[in-house]
Amino acid sequence: MKKIECDHCRLEFDKDLLIEEKIDGVNRYFCCKGCQGVYHLLKCEGLDEFYDRVKDTKLEPANQKYDDLQSFDLEGFKSRYIKVDENGFNTISLIIEGIHCSACVWLNEKVLHKSDGIIEAEINFTTHKAKIVWDDEVIKLSQIIEKIRSIGYNAYPYDASMQEERAEKSRKDYYTRLLVGIFATMNVMWLSIAQYAGYFSGIKQEYKSILQFYELLLATPTLFFTGWIYFRGAYFGLRNRFINMDFLVATGASLTYFYSIYAFLTKSGETYFESTIMIITFVFVGKYLEVLSKRSAVDTIDQLKATMPTEVMVINDDKKSLISVENVKVGDIVELRSGDSVVLDGELISQNGSFDESSLSGESLPILKNRSDSITSGSINLDNLIRYRVTKLYNESTFSNIISLLEESLSKKPHIEKLANQISGYFSLSILLISIATFIVWFYFSGSFEKSLIIAISVIVIACPCALGLATPMATLIGVGEGAKRGILFKEAGYLESIAKCDTLVLDKTGTLTQAKPVVVNVKNEKEFDPNILYTMVKNSNHPISKGICIYLEDHYSLAEFEDYELEEIKARGLKIKIDNKRFFGGNIEFFKTKDISYDYDSLDENNSIFIFGDKDEIFAIFYLQDRIRDNAKEVIKKFQKENFDIIMLTGDREGVAKKVSKEIGIDKYKSSLTPTDKADFIDKLHQDSKRVIMVGDGVNDALALSKSDIAIAMGSGADVSINVSDVVLLKSSIDSLWIAYKLGKKTFINIKENLALSLLYNILTIPLAVMGYVIPLVAALSMSLSSLLVVFNAFRIKRSINE
Amino acid sequence: MSSNILTMMIGISTFLGLLGLLALIWGLRSGQFDDQEKFLEATKYDDVDSLRDAANLEERKRETIKRKSSYSPPD
Repeated sequence: MKKIECDHCRLEFDKDLLIEEKIDGVNRYFCCKGCQGVYHLLKCEGLDEFYDRVKDTKLEPANQKYDDLQSFDLEGFKSRYIKVDENGFNTISLIIEGIHCSACVWLNEKVLHKSDGIIEAEINFTTHKAKIVWDDEVIKLSQIIEKIRSIGYNAYPYDASMQEERAEKSRKDYYTRLLVGIFATMNVMWLSIAQYAGYFSGIKQEYKSILQFYELLLATPTLFFTGWIYFRGAYFGLRNRFINMDFLVATGASLTYFYSIYAFLTKSGETYFESTIMIITFVFVGKYLEVLSKRSAVDTIDQLKATMPTEVMVINDDKKSLISVENVKVGDIVELRSGDSVVLDGELISQNGSFDESSLSGESLPILKNRSDSITSGSINLDNLIRYRVTKLYNESTFSNIISLLEESLSKKPHIEKLANQISGYFSLSILLISIATFIVWFYFSGSFEKSLIIAISVIVIACPCALGLATPMATLIGVGEGAKRGILFKEAGYLESIAKCDTLVLDKTGTLTQAKPVVVNVKNEKEFDPNILYTMVKNSNHPISKGICIYLEDHYSLAEFEDYELEEIKARGLKIKIDNKRFFGGNIEFFKTKDISYDYDSLDENNSIFIFGDKDEIFAIFYLQDRIRDNAKEVIKKFQKENFDIIMLTGDREGVAKKVSKEIGIDKYKSSLTPTDKADFIDKLHQDSKRVIMVGDGVNDALALSKSDIAIAMGSGADVSINVSDVVLLKSSIDSLWIAYKLGKKTFINIKENLALSLLYNILTIPLAVMGYVIPLVAALSMSLSSLLVVFNAFRIKRSINE
Repeated sequence: MSSNILTMMIGISTFLGLLGLLALIWGLRSGQFDDQEKFLEATKYDDVDSLRDAANLEERKRETIKRKSSYSPPD
């Protein structure tokens, strides 16, 4: 059959499925009414130039329906997301869904710019975030969102005050400071060349003073603006009775600075402003790299809470109102739309509804509930509109309990100390003592204050642990970068170091070692049947088992769905379908045991999931399904075993399944039938045996255990919560990435150690020279840069070694 | 070369450099480098049309502010 592109979204469909319409004498095809509508709208508005800009990019069909517009104009929503500026304009931050290319950004901005009342609309293509400023007297927010939806995109608000924004702000701040430092360094270099050329070949005092004056001008902002970070760091260090590297940099730089001012004013001796500038700037580069590598140090709990609605629709005497969750009382009636999360525990008062409880139990199958069944917060409503009565306050509900447990365990999260910080602490203190001693001894023997001070400064400058400061950030930055290239996200650079120190690997089964997508492994045909009936049945069900069978059928038959059918889903049992007045059933063993069919059910293999298809008299076929193990799981586990890792598999699944999977992969130790808290307790127990644990998981049921482990690794396809509490995210969700992540961590750690050794060795060689007075501060500053370069080049070796 | 000329030359070149630095920092602070991808594709969208759009928005903003400030609630 001929495939044709929809003229709006560019997805391909069979020709006879498309809506055909003649527009301006050309036949146009659309996959749905939504796309057709958008096409017409753009044509009318004169925006069809969009289609030239979009080129071949595929869009999403514009067939989404929403019915929540009124909620955008409610007071509770306004106070949470909308800010009013000094001109009386409203401002909101939105995330626009469905942006694929720059043409999409163009179209959205264009449409918004065209609407009256919108003052500003700017969309960030990289993050899909939009900032919109509008006049509330002319246009309402609901109208703005309707406009965005009318062209086939969706928008939802987000709280711009989240930690991520703050991290972004501090990144900008550091960048500004770095720019000032680099500017000063570049300019002071020219001046120093002149100054030192003069030093060796003779220069008039008046020229020298001019050069020194400009150097002073450049050094002042560098020391006090760029260097402010060190003063702050030194202050915090001192308050905690700890002499850190910041202190050393700050003292070295400011001593040089003030001595140089003295030399400049009295016109005696040389100034060393360029040393001040270079010390500050070079070490700042290292600091900046560190800030960069702190990829979204987002407060995980904030984000977890942000995924849950803060307001619910409460029905009061047939009036709907949005009430913030803290104010909902026991006995209130709450209405949920399809896809809404349950925030408060309660009991169902609608006839029935199905819920996704995967975030609580790890069980991926939807659960059907009847009137007056209890529903738990954290689950998601999958059916249409339902109502339930609240039985527990927000603070006592299951979900907020989980959050407070997480909060507690995150604050107690074990952190493996950072090697470089430990070393540099002692190092800084001893350097300071050495330079003070140098000053005293030189002053005592030579009697010249100036000479002794210069030598003491040289000691500080040459020992200034630039290389030491750069050693860790440089190596980790490259490690983090290499990881990102391979779809491994280290949330903080320090985790590379931590992962290398672990000795125990704990894995979740479902979704981590297996794909959580059952596939048909065996079929037992009892009788001929029309596969199209079964196809219609499973195609229209969201159950993972149905999906597995659907894929199997599509692979083996050419199929067509029936148009007229009545499908009914029976709680935890199966499906019932009526086609041409005939009934067919599909479901598990329990489902068929209730029917009058004689069959030896005990002969079926219990270790697989079973799906039976038949009618009321006979069984047609039996499908065996199995959760498939991820590719390469076995090889990767073997590699970890070679590294002497203790490997344990945890699962909430039954003993039989757990045993089978662990045997297949080659893991000796496993624990089955665990609840989320059991898993967390198990990690605690490992800690008591002083193990350092890597935990790999994907579901919300793993979140607690993840938050307790030393290094938590989440699958990118997993639940948001588990991704949020994790330290490392495997975006490709492949088990290979797990090994690469570990290898990367290990290589980086070795590299850091090499770098530290290199810079310490360098200092041990040069400090005695400085103490004896053979090195002037400028040479010290130059050689210090040299050692930094060495460290940088060494760090690039990680790249090579990981590519092998 | 007299010392005055030296002072002037270094002063002017440093000042010019400073202007560049300030412009860069201003661009950074006002968010012009926030969106890498848009920044890279800027040439595609930097046309008369978008300029007109921007001007219209400015105009609209001015008018709205004027209307708001001249508006006094009825007694």
